[in-house]
Parts: sequence; C-alpha cells; structure tokens
Amino acid sequence: MLRLRPLTLHRPTSLAEAIALKSEYGTDATYFAGGTDLLPNLKLLQVDAQVLIALADVAELRGIEAVDDDGGSTLHLGAATRLSTLAADPVVRSLVPSLADAAGRVASPQVRNMATLGGNLCLDTRCRYINQSQLFRDALGGCLKSHGKECHVVPGGQGCVAALSTDTAPLLIALGAELDLLGPDGPRSVPLGRFYSTDGLAHTDLRPGEIVVRVRVPVPAASTHVRNRKWAVRKSIDFPLVAVAVRLDLDPAAPVLTGGRIVVGVLGPRPRQLPLDRFAGASIDEALALQLGDLAFDRSRPLPNVPYDADYRRERLRVEVRRAVRDIAASLEG
Amino acid sequence: MPDNDPNVLRHRLGAAAGQQARSEARDVRVVAFTLNGESVQVAAPAHWTLLEALRYRLGLIGTKQGCDKGDCGACTVRVDGEAVLSCLTLAVMAAGRRVETVEGLGVGRPHPLQRAFDDCGAAQCGFCTPGMLMSAAAMLDQARAAGRTLSRMEIAAGLGGNLCRCTGYVRILDAVEQAQRELGGGGER
Amino acid sequence: MSEFRVLGRHHRKIDAMDRMTGVERYTDDLTLPRMLHCKILRAPIAHGRILGIDTSAALAIPGVEAVITGADLPTPYGIIPWTPDEHALCFDKVRYVGDAVAAVAAVDEETANAAVAAIEVRYEKLPVLDDPHAALADHATLIHERRKPDGSLVTNNISKRVELSFGDLDAAFADAELVVEADYRFHGTTHTPIEPHCALAHADARGILTIWSATQVPHYLHRELAKVLGLPRNRIRVIQPALGGAFGGKSEPFDLEFCAALLSLRTGRPVKCLYTREEVFLAHRGRHPFDMHYRTAFDRDGTIRGVDARTVLDGGAYSSFGLVTTYYSGQLLCSPYRFGAYRFDSRRAYTNKPACGPKRGHGSVQPRFAIEVQLDKAAVALGIDPIELRRRNALTVGERTINEFAIGSYGFLDCLAEVERASGWTERRGKLPRGRGLGVAGSTYISGTNYCIYPTDLPQSGVQICLDRSGRVRVFSGTSDIGQGSSTMLAAVAAEELGVALEDVRVLAADTDLTPVDLGAYSSRITLMAGHACQRAAKDLAFKVRSAVATAWDCDRSDVVLAEGQAMRLSAPETAMPIAEAFVLAEVEFGTLGATGSYQTPREGVHGDYRGATIGASPAYSFTAHVAEVEVDEETGEVQVLQIWAAHDCGRALSPTLVKAQIEGSVYMGAAEAVMEHHHTMPSGLRADGKRRDPGPGVAGLLANSSLLDYRIPTALDTPDITAIIVEHPDPNGPYGAKEAGEGPLHPAIPAIANAIFDAVGVRIDALPITPEKVLAALRARTEAR
Ligand SMILES: Cc1cc2nc3c(=O)[nH]c(=O)nc-3n(C[C@H](O)[C@H](O)[C@H](O)COP(=O)(O)OP(=O)(O)OC[C@H]3O[C@@H](n4cnc5c(N)ncnc54)[C@H](O)[C@@H]3O)c2cc1C
Ligand code: SF4
Ligand code: FES
Ligand code: FES
Repeated sequence: MLRLRPLTLHRPTSLAEAIALKSEYGTDATYFAGGTDLLPNLKLLQVDAQVLIALADVAELRGIEAVDDDGGSTLHLGAATRLSTLAADPVVRSLVPSLADAAGRVASPQVRNMATLGGNLCLDTRCRYINQSQLFRDALGGCLKSHGKECHVVPGGQGCVAALSTDTAPLLIALGAELDLLGPDGPRSVPLGRFYSTDGLAHTDLRPGEIVVRVRVPVPAASTHVRNRKWAVRKSIDFPLVAVAVRLDLDPAAPVLTGGRIVVGVLGPRPRQLPLDRFAGASIDEALALQLGDLAFDRSRPLPNVPYDADYRRERLRVEVRRAVRDIAASLEG
Repeated sequence: MPDNDPNVLRHRLGAAAGQQARSEARDVRVVAFTLNGESVQVAAPAHWTLLEALRYRLGLIGTKQGCDKGDCGACTVRVDGEAVLSCLTLAVMAAGRRVETVEGLGVGRPHPLQRAFDDCGAAQCGFCTPGMLMSAAAMLDQARAAGRTLSRMEIAAGLGGNLCRCTGYVRILDAVEQAQRELGGGGER
Repeated sequence: MSEFRVLGRHHRKIDAMDRMTGVERYTDDLTLPRMLHCKILRAPIAHGRILGIDTSAALAIPGVEAVITGADLPTPYGIIPWTPDEHALCFDKVRYVGDAVAAVAAVDEETANAAVAAIEVRYEKLPVLDDPHAALADHATLIHERRKPDGSLVTNNISKRVELSFGDLDAAFADAELVVEADYRFHGTTHTPIEPHCALAHADARGILTIWSATQVPHYLHRELAKVLGLPRNRIRVIQPALGGAFGGKSEPFDLEFCAALLSLRTGRPVKCLYTREEVFLAHRGRHPFDMHYRTAFDRDGTIRGVDARTVLDGGAYSSFGLVTTYYSGQLLCSPYRFGAYRFDSRRAYTNKPACGPKRGHGSVQPRFAIEVQLDKAAVALGIDPIELRRRNALTVGERTINEFAIGSYGFLDCLAEVERASGWTERRGKLPRGRGLGVAGSTYISGTNYCIYPTDLPQSGVQICLDRSGRVRVFSGTSDIGQGSSTMLAAVAAEELGVALEDVRVLAADTDLTPVDLGAYSSRITLMAGHACQRAAKDLAFKVRSAVATAWDCDRSDVVLAEGQAMRLSAPETAMPIAEAFVLAEVEFGTLGATGSYQTPREGVHGDYRGATIGASPAYSFTAHVAEVEVDEETGEVQVLQIWAAHDCGRALSPTLVKAQIEGSVYMGAAEAVMEHHHTMPSGLRADGKRRDPGPGVAGLLANSSLLDYRIPTALDTPDITAIIVEHPDPNGPYGAKEAGEGPLHPAIPAIANAIFDAVGVRIDALPITPEKVLAALRARTEAR
C-alpha cells in the first residue's frame, strides 16, 4: 500500500476555528477538503503535511443558493460543495448548465462524490515529472517543484510551469466568477480570473491561512452563451489534457457577437484568457468557429508538462474551440 | 572509487529531497461508525485510510486495493449511500457515518446484483467485482429513488471509475442491466 | 443436440459467489500472527555497479527485524533454465530503474518504508542503453557480463537470435506479381492485472517454508525458490490463493517471493510483501516492443508466395521468457495461412529498462499485426476482397505448415464466414458514411506447447480425483485459476463424467503440497492438458462406479450411465439410484475411491526436427477472425473503435460462457493496445536541445507512466461493443476436442482496427499505438500529397 506518513487530523466546525488552527500550525498544516487531490500527493510524498485541517464539518462552506441582485442573479456556491452535487443540482442545472456539465466531467463518479469545488479550484499544479513516485523523482534528480535545480519541461527555465489541471476553473473564469476568501486578516474577494499566478510552486493568490469560502457565479444573461470542452484520452477518470471554455456574448436583438472570451486551461499554472472584443459584430457561424479556433491555437502553447504530446494538445485545442462555437451556432438555429 | 567521482552516486531514498522518514507519533483515535448496519468501533491512527481500517483492522477483506490512490475503483465502498473511494478516505473521517462494503450487500442471500453477476459470468478474477458491485448498487438505488431506468450507456458512465482488466465490461453491463430489470420498482435493496 | 450433459452448457463459475461476497481470500487478504511487512529498495539508476550498501541505519530503527541484500541471495535464477540472469536482489550491478537492491522486514508497512529510506547505496553509474538498436550496435557497454564456454567475454547485448528459413525464398520473390515491403513497430504494453503482486512467506518451526503467492506458475516458483534458497523442494510449499488477474504478468518468480521467504527464514516470523502499483509496472514482463521489417511476395490471385521478416525485440534488462519470445516472433506466424516460403531473423536485445516477457498472446501478437496489415495492403493492391484473399491462402486439416507444425483441426474458414456474416461485411463495406470503415484480420494460437520449459519426460499435468460417500467429488489439480475459470472447467469435466451436479464438485488447486503438478497458467495450456488429465481420472472412477452399480443391478456395465445426480440403466431409465448410493456401492467394492490422470503431449510427428522445431509446436491450434468497425474523426484524428466481431475456433466450448468471456476480454485488451496503451520510458536525455546527460542521473530508461492514471487502460466508456462468436472444430488432440480460448482471440483485434482505419480514411498507421496525432499527421500528409 501507499501508506500515508503519520499525521495529526483536526476537524474544526467553524471557519474561525479552522483559521485559528492553521495559524497555530503554520506551514506544517494543510486544509483538507475532499482529499482527492491532497491524499494522492501525500501518498506519493510529493507534498508533506504533519497536520491536516479537515473542512468537512464547517457548515459555513456548504450550500447552493441563487441570489438576486440588481443586474440579475448570482449563484452562491459553498466551497465545500461536492462536484457530484454541483453536477446534479437542479438550480445549477437550470441556471448555469455548463457548470453542471463541467463538474460532471471531472475524474470519476466516486471522485466526484468526494471532491469539492474549493478543492477543484485550489488543486495543486500537475506535471509528468512531479506526479510520480519518490523513486522516480530521485532517479530524475528532482526538479524545481521538488528538490531539483532545473525544470525539465522548459530546460533552463526559471520557474515551474506545471499545469493547472482543473475542469471547472476555465469555465468559471469565463463566467466571471468571484471567490470570497476568509483568512487571519479577515475576508476579501478576488475575481477567479486574477486568482492564479504563473508560478507553479505557488499558483494561487491565497495568503497564508486563507480559505475559499464561496464561489459567486453571475448567472449568464440569455444572450450569453457558454460552452465548456474537455479532452482527455479516456472518457472517465482522466485529468483534462485540454480544457477550454468559450463564452460568446451576443447582441440580445440579433445573433451577432458583442464580446466574450476564451479561457484556456492546462497550459501552465494560470489559465489564459483571450478576449473576443475585436470580433464584435461577427455572426455566429463556421467562419467564426475557424477564426476562434485559430486564435486559441495561435495564442496558446501547451507545454510538455502533462503527460500527452504538446503539439497535439495545441491542435486539439483549436478543434475544441471550433466545436464549442459550432455548438452555440447550432443552438441558436435550433 | 572516491565519492567525488562524478560517476559515483550515493543514494538514500528521498534524502535528496530532504524527506525524513516518519514512523513515530501516532495520533490514534477510536472511530465509531455504522458498518453494514452494525455499530463498530475501531482504533485507527489518523493517517490510516478507511480501506486500511476495513481490511487490516476490521477483517473485511472484500474491499480490494489496486492502486491506493484513486485511479482504479477497486476500493469502492458506500458512505451514507454514495460510492466513494476508501483508499482516499481517512478512517477517522468515517466517524458517525454509514459505511457499507460488499460484505453487507445482500445479507442472508445474494443481492440481485450478485446473482446477476453470477448468472452473466461478469466476474472473472473477481478482483474488481466488489468495487463494481458497490458502484452499481449506489447507482441503481439512486436511479430508483429518482424513478429512472438507466440506459446501458448511463450504466457504463456510472461504472466509469471502476477499472476491470478481465471482462471487457460486456458481461458487467449485462449484469447490471439484468439486476436493474429484476429490482424494477420493487422494494428490494 | 449435444452428446454432453454438463459440458457445452452455461455454467456459473464455481468460485464466483465467494469472490463477489468478499469471502474468498486473495494473497493480500491473508494475515498470520506476528506477521512482518517487507519492502524492497529499488535502484534509481538504469545501469550501474553497486559499490557498497550500508544498512546499519535501517537496522537501528525500532521495529525493523531484518535487512537483506544481494549477498544474501547470490544464486541466479531465470524462468528459462538456459538463461538464469536474474538475482532476487542485485549484488553486482543494477540494470534498470527499479531493480531490487535490498529488502527489509518490519513490524508494519510504515516502519518498513522508513527502513528502506534509511539504507544508503553507493553506485558507479554506467552508460545507459535504452534503445535496442543502439544496444545491438554497442560492444563496449555490456548489460550482462556473460562468458562463453571458453571463458571469454560475450561482447554484445544480444539476448537471443533466431534465424530460420523454410523453402526457396529467393525463388518466391523472384517472379512474384506483387511484393509488399514495410516497416512496422509494435510498442510496449503491459498486463495490468487489478490485483498487485503479493507474497506471504512463513518458515515454520518444523522447518517447512510455505509461500502464498499471487503467481500463475506455482510449480516453477517452487523450483526456483528451492534453487535460490538452497532448500530441498520437499521443505517448500507453494500455495496460490485466489488470483486477481495475471495475463502473463505473474508467470515467473519475482523478487518479492524470494525476499519474503528469506526474511521469514531469518526472522522465524511470517513476512508479507505487497507490491505498490508502481512496482507492478516495474516488474513488467509485458509485451516486447518489436521493430519489424516485412517483405511479402504474392501471386496475381493473392497466393502468399513468400514471407521474409526481420525483427528486433526490445527485451529490457533480463531474459525472462525471451528465448521463447524470440522463437515465437517467427514460429507462430505460419498459420492460418499457407506460406510458399518463409524466413525470419529475430534478434532480442538487452536494454536498461524493465524486462519484457510474456503477455497474453506471447510473442505472436506483434508479428501478427505486421502480417495482417501486409495482407490488407496486398488485397488493396490486387483488388481482392481482404476476406477472400485470406480464404485463398487457407490451410487444410492434416496439413503441415511450412515450419512443419501439424494442423489437426482448422476452423479458420468458418471464423471468417462468421465475422463476414455478423458484421454485414458484404452489404456494408464501402457503403459506410464518411469516416467509418471495416477491417478484417485472422490469427492462430497454441493450446500449450509440446515441451515443458525444462527438459523432462514427466507429465505436463496431473489430476487426482476422490469420491466422497456423500456424493461429492473432489478434484485436486496443480492448475492456476487466474480468473479464466480453469477450476470451473475441471469441475465441469468431472461433473460430466461422474454424473454429479457442478455444485457437487470441489476443486482444490495450486497447492504444491496437496495437488499433483501442473505446469501453470501460461501458453493457454490448461484446458487441453489438465482437461485431459481430469477426464482420464474421472473416467477411471466412473468405470468403477458403473461396475459396482452393474453388479448391484446384475446388468452389463455398459448399460449403466452416470448423469444428473443419478446412476441410471440405459435400457430401463426408470431404474435409477442417487449418485451418492452409487458411490457407496463402489466404495464397498473397491475401497476408498480415488484415481489419478495425467497428460503428456504427443511427441511424434507433430513438428519438424530442425533446431528450434519444437518451440511453438502445440498439440492443437486455435483460430480466430475479427472484423472491426471504426469511426475516424478527421478533424481530431481520433479513432473510435465502435464494434468488434470476433469468431474463435476453440475446438469445443466445454463452457461456452467462459469461452465467450475469454474472447471478450481478449478483444478488449487487444483493442486497448491498438489505440491507447503504451508502457514507455522517458526519452533518452531530457533536454529539448537534444543533449544527453549521460551517464545522467538515471533518466534514460526511467519508466514514464507507472500508475493506473498515466498507463491508461480503457474504462467501460472506452471499450467497443464486442460480439463473441464461438466456432467449434473439435481437435483430435483436445479433451472432447477442446482447444484454447484465452489468448488467441486477442491477436486480430489490432490489425483489424488498423485495416479498418485504412478502409475508413485511406491512411495506414504502421507504428503502434494508433494515436490521434499520428492519424492526424497521416491525414494531412495524404491531403498534401493530393
Ligand atoms: C483519479 C483522479 C482523477 C482526477 N481527475 C480530475 C479531473 O478530471 N479534473 C479535475 O479537475 N480534477 C481531477 N482530479 C483532482 C481532484 O479530484 C479534483 O480536482 C477535486 O475537485 C479536488 O477537490 P478536493 O476537495 O478533493 O480537494 P483536496 O484534495 O481536499 O484539496 C486540494 C487542495 O486544495 C486546498 N483546498 C481545498 N479546499 C480549499 C478551500 N476551501 N480553501 C482553500 N484551500 C482549499 C487543499 O489545501 C489542497 O491543497 C482527479 C483526482 C483523481 C484522484
Ligand atoms: S514544470 Fe518543471 S519545475 Fe514544474 S513540476 Fe514540471 S519539471 Fe518540475
Ligand atoms: S485502490 Fe482506491 S481507487 Fe484504486
Ligand atoms: S474480473 Fe478481473 S479485474 Fe474485473
């Protein structure tokens, strides 16, 4: 068995208690939600934690709610919402079906029953040179993310470019989601689009001790069309090798583009955002599908970080974007 | 050869990464939960998974291990009715929950799923089977509660986290379909 | 209808319910009092000399009971007696990343892990050879230091070379209508049973060493343990508990068995060793990567005039079954088609990578891919339907193949006809929507081999049966049920002959203290060999029971039949007695009822007498044909295998449900190899600038995907629809005519898919696996060429 190393577990029942524990133990401690990202990494001795602070009993992290505000409505999703709940929830399905779909494509049914949305946004970056056994990393001589001095993905590179391999982040960024955080210094909010950095070793904006409490997702207007696309070799279990969200904002009066964005995941630690303002006025057709596919292709360079041919991932990204646009075009006709 | 020869490697596993082996300091708890309908208590260190506690403390060896990190589904059990991976569940987190393993499926006589697997020849080596059965049972219960009949494709998706290397899944899907027919709208669980 | 009462009908597996209720114990489900846990330290470099090992810090950890290194187990071993090149723990050199260096026994796994991490090893790094062609060309870096009989060093890395030639090849090619010539690459794949390897050893106070192991060859393990541990065989008992899949991956001894055994002998306590999933991938013994150059000559009508094959096998660090693999790479190709002439030259190279060995369809899946694609190319070039071209090259019953294997039964034409019909080949081919295509391929396989791995005149399989007064039948057999259902097959044979219900047969298998020897679950030998042995023992007992009953009824013995739980009079069916009573009568007459049966392969007239003629010769050959239907997405290059129709001639389906299950599992595994799986190491050197960091920190030869996440085996959603069709051409050498069904049906899946892709979109991918990037590149090249 891949035995975990001995550790201590705390089960706080409130955010305040959780944050206090984290302040007490500092870097020895890690928050632990569904554990589906953390435990494999701990078992492979990729990361270490002597103290786990479970978030499972913190009621403040739960709940799905549609809140009406001036512009429209916003979906408030507790960070501990499980992905299977998100995928099946009638409110989510009716208001933001693309999110339910994206959550339903993560990993496998069992993992989705355990994994949380907060964990899906905070999961560690991934790379073929790091998500390996201790023996492998020793044989490799390590890399920047372990004990080594160089990056094998970008030889000579100064930073780690391991990939953010989440299925929901590109979509939530495209939707304009914001995170409500709480830490030792109080609450704050950040747009998810600014939450990630380019440093694969510390890829989120979380300050020491901060917890993602809630994800606020503006419910898209009827004239906004969003599609999320995932490609992986297998139809289940696999992390995404291509993850991309396409958001097209249309003129409510006529089916022409007013704006929108493409958000590309699984590149480096930060999803790439490609605004579509310069396509304003375009109609939603095959020509646009091809153009946007090419845009994503030109502006994204998948790296040989996750275990699949990077050139193909780039080609595939182009096709996935095309298909997202075609799907929207078809829905407009239908 | 001297140690400073570039061709000489001194190796201790994990030493370069500054990893200290830790085998001390066990945070042992007594965990109480419902296991296959009965209350149980088990003393487990905090770093033990539910899979380890089931297999090596409670003697329930029906739940299998194939990867120990979430990739295969052999360790699937039900917690509060839902299929989860016991290799990624800490034993202490099961406290107060309702845990069901293959040993609790069809107590007294085989569950319709077990009968269907047997009829169809859905188990070859049988190593993936307990996990398959637990995923399938959770899926069928859920569908029944929602008043739905699952298509073969939906069943395949529901078993998408359970790898089988022997069968090519053909007979497994046959069996789950057969059990679904048998369970129908009836009251059996 | 059938002349049988039990055989040929639907059976529930006799052991399935126990497995499905969590009652059956697999190896890791066993625990013994005071049991220790063993962990093995593995090398982080692909090639190096061990300069020293310091275990003192490990031994100082509380709870660590023993540490052993290579010096404690110096005797080399190998599954093939002519090539003993492995050590339980390396003591001079390490030859791949993952080679075992030391082992510890401790009170629990956590402590054992800590102890392993406290061992320090000093290595001298040696150049790494991770490419078979480079290894063959290299005469300075030697992975194994082997001596010739005269004591001089063998200065190459050739693990085995086989060159054989049959017929006049030059003439065959000289005036051929068509010569198809191409290079094919078969990549490495591995077995991936869901159960990781595990062994539990207990050296007891009587001086008996018992090993429970997840092995598919208890007999060979027994022999090798005795050899390496220096113990007499009668002091060792090997038990194979329920096994969670094997597929060839558990068909030789591994380090864990020796380590657990020695640690138990040292500590006097039971010791268990359970591989991590990574260790399963490192232990490997999977399918060899093959580089194959094929030339095939055809007549105008599609007749195969000659085949000329040159193959390089990437063997990895050790011989394993490599001698056999190298022979099989050529010897198993000469059926189901008639070759006018044939030559093959196969070289197996040692490389610094996990050792390759036998995986389902050992040695013959790779060349089968090449030849079946060659035939498809010829069919296109000659304008002949690919099924028709195969028909035209069919063998006949009683014929000898060009390499002189005797064909005793031949259902291949029916297999072709079945898949042609089932797939709607004639109506649908060429008329499918864009991007869809159909492809066909055929194959053959052995039902065990005529000769044991070591030279012996002893039987290949023995079965002992006892009858109980209660009407129960006990079958003792050394066979390994690895999930394929061999125990159920034995029960069905016994039930057939003795007239009892399947549920009344208990099979006790794979325990070297209690069961007669059977060589194990490899080369698809059990149904034919143990089936015969079981039939003989059962018939012997049935004779006694019928005699006793005949005496009681005062009738002729031939008038008594045993069937459906009764003894009956054929001439007066109303005269009957429960089978238990019949057994009692027989026990009164003959004493305690027991009989043995054994099986030895035919040796006369079944193969040629050239050097190597015996390797690959089998008592009976199975045949398979597949049609695959694929859909190719021309925008992404992705191939979806929609359906595979597989017809397999298994001689006689003793248990049709089990046969179909074997066909389905084989097809699944083959399809996965075609489009998805790839066991591969990191490319040599990591740098994008192409500079190698030799001798490097061990990066070349480092296994890239040693987890079930990264070595992607299909889920239920990734598996094609599979239609299994049984074809029965009973073989005179098979029990009731039965032949194999567990490996043959894998072969055609891969070329059938490749051929279907050509049918769909007109491109050929001759280098496996058929990934979307390769298909896309080929589609683009085709477009540009236009
Ligand atoms: C076999 C397998 C396949 C997978 N496939 C996919 C896939 O296809 N797509 C995908 O996106 N993911 C995949 N995953 C990864 C993982 O399951 C998901 O990303 C999951 O959503 C993580 O959530 P969790 O609650 O389990 O996180 P945890 O493992 O509990 O936590 C992950 C990280 O987030 C931090 N964290 C968690 N919650 C919070 C919070 N509220 N505030 C601050 N920090 C927090 C933790 O400290 C930890 O560092 C896969 C995992 C496995 C084992
Ligand atoms: S991107 Fe570079 S530094 Fe980061 S994990 Fe991969 S190899 Fe290591
Ligand atoms: S053992 Fe839990 S998923 Fe493989
Ligand atoms: S029956 Fe063997 S793995 Fe599924």
